Parts: sequence; C-alpha cells; structure tokens
Amino acid sequence: MKRAIKIIVILIIFIIIFAFLNRLLKPKYATSLVEGSMISQYYDESKDHEVIFIGDCEVYANFSPMVMYEESGIKAYVRGSSQQLIWQSYYLLKETLKYEIPKVVVFNVNSMRYDKNSSAVSEAYNRLMIDNMKWSKEKIELINASMTEEESFISYVFPILRYHSRFDELTKEDFEFLFKNKTNTYNGFLINKNVKPVTNLPTKRRLATYEFDEECYDYLQKITDLCKENGIELVLIKAPSVYPYWYDEYDKQIESFAEENDLDFYNFLDVTQEIGIDYNTDTYDGGLHMNLDGATKLSKYFANILIENYDLTDYSGDELYDEKLEEYNNAIK
Amino acid sequence: MNILLFVLSIAIYLSYGFSNFIFIIFSMLTSFIAGRFLKSKNGKFILGITIFANAILLVLSKFLPYADINFISAIGISYYTLQVISYLVDVYKGKYEPETNLFYFALYIFYIPHIFIGPIIRYADMKEQILKKKKITLDNLEDGLLRILWGLFKKLVISGRVAILVGTISSNLETYNGAFALFAMLLYSIQLYSDFSGGIDIVMGVSKIADIDLKENFDSPYLAENIKEFWRRWHISLSSWLRDYVYIPLGGRRCSKARKAFNTLVTFLVSGLWHGVNYILWGFIHGIFVLFGDKYKTKFKNLNRVINFIIVSILWSFFIWPTTGEAVQAILSIFNNFKITDFAQNILNLGLTLGDYIVLIISTLILFIFDGKKDKILNYIKSKTFERKLIYVGIFALIVMTFGIYGIGFEVDEFIYSNF
Repeated sequence: MKRAIKIIVILIIFIIIFAFLNRLLKPKYATSLVEGSMISQYYDESKDHEVIFIGDCEVYANFSPMVMYEESGIKAYVRGSSQQLIWQSYYLLKETLKYEIPKVVVFNVNSMRYDKNSSAVSEAYNRLMIDNMKWSKEKIELINASMTEEESFISYVFPILRYHSRFDELTKEDFEFLFKNKTNTYNGFLINKNVKPVTNLPTKRRLATYEFDEECYDYLQKITDLCKENGIELVLIKAPSVYPYWYDEYDKQIESFAEENDLDFYNFLDVTQEIGIDYNTDTYDGGLHMNLDGATKLSKYFANILIENYDLTDYSGDELYDEKLEEYNNAIK
Repeated sequence: MNILLFVLSIAIYLSYGFSNFIFIIFSMLTSFIAGRFLKSKNGKFILGITIFANAILLVLSKFLPYADINFISAIGISYYTLQVISYLVDVYKGKYEPETNLFYFALYIFYIPHIFIGPIIRYADMKEQILKKKKITLDNLEDGLLRILWGLFKKLVISGRVAILVGTISSNLETYNGAFALFAMLLYSIQLYSDFSGGIDIVMGVSKIADIDLKENFDSPYLAENIKEFWRRWHISLSSWLRDYVYIPLGGRRCSKARKAFNTLVTFLVSGLWHGVNYILWGFIHGIFVLFGDKYKTKFKNLNRVINFIIVSILWSFFIWPTTGEAVQAILSIFNNFKITDFAQNILNLGLTLGDYIVLIISTLILFIFDGKKDKILNYIKSKTFERKLIYVGIFALIVMTFGIYGIGFEVDEFIYSNF
C-alpha cells in the first residue's frame, strides 16, 4: 500500500513537471506576435455581446467594438485571428455559441478565396489561432480541419512536442504570463496607429479560376445554417482592404449566395468615399489593413448600419462598457 | 509472444512496400530449403550456389544505384543477407542442425526491431531466444524502457544536434576551410556513434521488453587505443561476422605474414563494400591501419585514445561527403587550408545556438562518462528499487522531450546505418 502511494506520488510529480514544461515552452504571444493571444482573451470577457465578428485580420484590424459602442451603444466582440480560414471561422463560431447567442454574426468573406490547398494554409497561422483556445469538442474539430500535413494532433495536446526548441529562447515574458494572458485588444480589436499610405493600387491579375472552392461554400453554408438554427442574423461583409485584390467575380458569387440564403452583404470597398476612408492616411501597411483612424471611420459607419437595420439594443450608459471605453480612449491617445 | 512478434514484423516490413518483401522472402526460402540439404553429397555445391544467389543480390543492391538502376532497394538486405550466409555456413560446418521449423526461421530473418540497423544476429543465438518461454515482466519493462530512452537521448539530443553542424559544413565544402572540415569530422564521430548505438539501444530495449536478449554491438569504441581494438569495440556483430565468414575462411592469421596482410585487407575491403561502393577506400585504409596495429602506439593510454579518435574521425570523411573525391578534398583541406580564426568567428553561425552547444557538450560528456563507467552505472541502476527506476525513466523522458531535435523545423533523418 505504502509502495503504491509512493508510485502514485512520483507519477503525479512528473505529470505536474510535464504540464509546467508544456506551459513554459509554449509562446505567450504577449509582446510579440500578439495575434496569438487574441482568441483566448474572449474567455475573460463578459458574454453579453449582441454582435460577434468572425474572420481574418480584416476584422480584428478594421472594426473597433469600442467605437461602435460609443457611436450606437452596440455591444460587439471581434473573434478574429490572423489568416483565419473559413473552416476555422465555422468552428470558432460554434465554440462562441456555447458561451452566448448574439443577435448578429458578422462574417468577413475574404477567406472564401482560400481553399485547403492554398498557400494561406500554414502551421504558423494555425498555431496563432489554436494554441491558446480552450479545449472543447470544437477545438478538436478545428484542429483536425486545420492541420497541415507536417503537423500532428498530439503536438497541440502537448505543446512541448512543438516548442521544445524554445528552451534557450525563454524570456521574462514566459514566466510572467505563465498562468495568465496579456490583454492586447479591446473586445478583439487590435489598435495600430502607424500610417503607411497606399502607393500603388493593386492591378487585377488573371487567375486560373475565380470560382470559390466547393469546400469553402460548404463551410459558408454551415455558418449560415448554424446562425439560422440559433435565430441569429448572419451578415456578410467585405472589409475595405485594397490588398489582396477582391475580384468582381468573387463579389458576384457572394452576392448570389447572399440572395439565395436571404442574407445581407456589405462590400465596404464600394463605399470607401461614403465612409470617408483616405488611403493616404488610414492604413498602416499600404492598404492591407486600416489603422486606428481608418478603423474608427469604418466602425462608426458600420455601427449605424447595424443599429438601424437589425434588432440591436442601445446599451449606452452601461457601467462596464463605459469603463472599457475610458480605457480604450486612454489607449488610443 | 513469437506469433505476435512475427505478425508485427511482417506488418511493419510490408508497410515499406511489397517489392522489398519479395527479396526477403527469396533469401529466407532459399536459405531455409538449402539448409536442409547441406549435409547431402552435393552440400558444398548447394552452399556455394545459395550463398552466391543471396550475395549477388546484396552486391547488386550496392552497385546498381551508381548506374542509376534501383530495381533492388530491399530494406534490410545488408543485414538479413549476412544472417542467411552465417546460417548456411554454420549448418554446413555442422555447428548446429538445420532448422526444420519454417516459422522459427522466418522469425529469425524477419525479426523487425533489428532489420533496419542490426545488430547482425547469429541463428544459434536467436533460436535460443525464440525457444525460450517469453513473458513481459516489470523488470524487463524497466530495463527495456530505460534502454530505449537512452537510445532516444543519443539519437535526438546528441546526434540530431551534431547533424545540423555537420550538415551545414559538409554541404558547402568550398565555403568552409580545413578547420571547419576537421571540426565536422570530429563531430561526425560523435554523431555516427550516438546515432548508430542509439538505434541499437532502441532495438535492444524493444527486444528486452519482448524478453529477447541480443548481444551488444558496441563496447565503448572511442576508448580504443588503435584501429584494431576499435574494430573489436565498434559494430561488433559486423566485425565478428567478417572475422568468422571472411577472414578465417581466407586463412586468418595462421599463415605467412604476406598472406595474413592480404586476408586483413580483403576483409576490410569487404567491410567497405558492405557499406557501399563509396566506402571501399575507407575500408582499405582501415585495413592498412590494422596491419600497422601497435606501430603508432605511445606509452600513454589516453594519448593513444586521442590519436585513435582523430584517425577514426578523419576516416569518417568518407561517410560525411557523398563522393570519395570530396572526402579526400576535405581531408586535404586540413593540411592546406586551415584557418582557425575564421572558424572561431563563425562557430555560432553553423546552425546551433549557444544553448544548443551547451546542451551538446553536456550530453556528450554524459555519453562518454557512461561509456567509461558503463558496468558500474548499470549495476547501480539495477540495484535500485522500482520507484527509483521510475524516477530515472521520468527524468530521461523529460530531458529527451525538451532537448531533443525533432518535430517541425527540424529534419530528423532516419538512422544513418539504415542506409547501409
């Protein structure tokens, strides 16, 4: 009996050391590659959002929920991540709906152009999105749907198998954020104040095919059905990023899908003047993403569309959100 | 247990493709059937023709790739061919009776843990293991697991790290001067030893868990004071096979000095050829060093070891560089293009970080300390309780997982000796 207890204690100690090493070696995404910490910040939030954004960097860089709150009293959250692919958006939405049922889900359709053979599918982006997600059935499905050939499921379960070579790259940050996340966003919006004007407008290059992949359509349909099953209005958008080039052929396909499924689709590339976007001052990387000024203009514009057209509540005066807004306004000064 | 081992062996072997399977079946069946008739009056002829048929396949598998013909790429052919030859010769000489049970014989040939990198097992030893009643015990599990982890430590922590350095230098012979080339050679000694012996440790560990004891293939080879002793300690199953089935049949040492020298050189040429066509010169030079045996030995044991280590390392050039010409060029660069300052300035630009170097130095020291005091350490571990062994297994597993070179971003090559 005494021996059995001894063995159990030894095993428990090793499991604790192993778990500690897994945590220690996994990147913390606190001060560099902060995109990796965005998905997990949602878990610490109050779950009373009426609008949830899902999609790639075109959502987390371009839409500021705090501006939307200030403008129209909307409670929104951006569950965006770098190069979020459509199958990832679907599973992320499924996970989100376990926490809360918003009134509106906004999906940025840029990822429709990327199928599973696309160069956009990469281990690095998978890691940024998945590493800090909480374990759930949806996370397992997401990993299985996202893994590249070189990846293995077990390395998501035990990150030490992926990150063991970081043993000599550990910094103070790895210990500081061992058991906590660093909040880098404001309801999922990542502030960037830099300015890099658009110097060259992208030219339309001929593609082998303009047709979206069948699997991408399947996932778009799944997102649509999931929203319908939960009584959520799905709104499709295309953010006003001039890179990568958004083809008319793409636009037509989305319009047609939206029409067939009775969805609204807003292509903000068509209304940049109305929004007031100046590509000389409103982007931080030559047209891929809006900077703070561009995002503020776009968020105000879209907040008005949302509050006018969808059954959303004006929460202006909400104590928690007022506090958040104050923090946000301090951050953008 | 035998059935389980057999099924697993066949399944794993088949997973490498059916074409491999045809060659191994050919070797197994020809030697099994021939073995039954070696005592007949045509025994010598049957022995000759069967050995020839098997050996020619092995020789072709070594030569044909150089003519861009790859129709024989049978996995493990270098190992199982030597096994069937030793079986045929031993049966012919009456060392033991031919096997009558095809299943036992098939298990000897197919036994998967060793088929890729050895060791080269003799049938008498294997049959003893096949016939004994095997069971998985806690003791075997502990010993087997520790041995596997020790092998993984050598392969992933040491060999994997050295491979990065050696790979960087060897892939760019023009850029790196003789100081780098010598560094690569000395390091390759460590890489090859940790890779090959690490693989053998895994084979031994897996076998131990299955209650099969295989003979050791290494005996601290870099503690050898000359090349002759090195070959008594390095890849023992191959060197003893060459001794018993090439050197002694040629006449061994019971003949004139000239004939003895001839026998030695032929044996080492065969050793070189067994590794591949590119290694014939390497085998020949080793043979020369064996002939001169003690001639270059000093009074100081450790100095002898260092000298021998340097000689062995320089000769590994034939393993590092893909052609004999490049290997010779690399060796010559030590004498005609040796720039130590350039080397010192660039040592951290060869693919390893300072942390990697520290891990490499510490783990190599552990390897050599273990080699020097192997028996003492093994007895110490054996005397410990299950709980204590569990702690050792845990610590080793954590070390290998944290400091091993594996996963995305690293190319963990297969074991070097699986290519021979």
